[in-house]
Amino acid sequence: MRNTKLLVAAAVVIGVALVVIGIVYLAEPAKSLPSFFPGHEAGSAHHHVKHGIASFFVGLAAFAFAWFQTGPKNKTA
Amino acid sequence: MILLATLISYPRAIILGLLQGVAELFPVSSLGHSVILPKLFGWDIHQNDKYFLTFLVATHLATAIVLLGFFWRDWVRILKGIGRSLRDREIRADDTDAKLGWLLIVGTIPAGILGLALEHKLRAVFASATSAAVFLTLNGLLLYGTERLRRRAPDTEGDDDTRIARKMSWRGAVLVGAAQALALIPGLSRSGATMGGGLLVGLSNKDAARFAFLLATPIIGAAAILKLPELFGPEGDGVRGPALVGALCSAVTAYLAVRFLMRFFETKTLTPFAIYCFFAGLAATVYLVA
Repeated sequence: MRNTKLLVAAAVVIGVALVVIGIVYLAEPAKSLPSFFPGHEAGSAHHHVKHGIASFFVGLAAFAFAWFQTGPKNKTA
Repeated sequence: MILLATLISYPRAIILGLLQGVAELFPVSSLGHSVILPKLFGWDIHQNDKYFLTFLVATHLATAIVLLGFFWRDWVRILKGIGRSLRDREIRADDTDAKLGWLLIVGTIPAGILGLALEHKLRAVFASATSAAVFLTLNGLLLYGTERLRRRAPDTEGDDDTRIARKMSWRGAVLVGAAQALALIPGLSRSGATMGGGLLVGLSNKDAARFAFLLATPIIGAAAILKLPELFGPEGDGVRGPALVGALCSAVTAYLAVRFLMRFFETKTLTPFAIYCFFAGLAATVYLVA
């Protein structure tokens, strides 16, 4: 039970982080991305739209995982 | 722009479109063929040229639309299943549509991530027709190997989706999805990798083909839609007409291909495609190297 709670908390944190990262990718050009982000490129005005969409959807998948883990079946188990 | 228009003339667009529709769904590597054949025909077309990529966007979108249309009723059931599972907050063991839907989502994630991370690097490294020919030979060996390595006689009880949902584990879906990334290397086939992966987790040829086509639809469609602005933007100038013709040809052959393959795999295996890839790749390698 404790492990499940930890897993759910981790999934929610990762989900929020990935959704935020996705928004950053969509909103900011490559030159304005934090330097540790894949795709950061000094002087480039290119928007990494695909990175943003991928990050956003993987974030949603993390939320879906947390959603199922906290469902009625898992609560009664 | 006149130069671009002459690079993909309408007759070439028709040939490439017809080829793309077949080769995208047959486990023989569409990208490999679209790299090797122009070289064999002496056409001045290179896979990393902007106008050629724009052309491929149109043909891929046509293939994805055909796949979506062909499996439309299945997709409606699958989406309803996903909706049901989200509402109930569980994927019930008897809800085949929900399980299949989530298997497809789980399989699409690694394919998407690996595609984003490796697409440009792999295509830059393996851009030549010779390397595509070598990998086409390797594709033949991989297809043959998966047929030889399949675990046991396939399950034939229940309907197609029930069997897929029963046989495919979450880990299996991740592995089969990740195997799609092999298709980023010209010469290795996306549908071949996913069908081979399906066979290795215990699916029949027909079920593996069905899972491969369902899994391919969102990836091919999303990749094409994301690049659609290029087709309608300045990069599409001079290639838009041939791209549209190529897309129509691609749609016709893709429809015929998926119809044929779903019947073919009811009784047949990947072996004929393995033999074709091996010998066609070998012959092309010898021709291009000599």
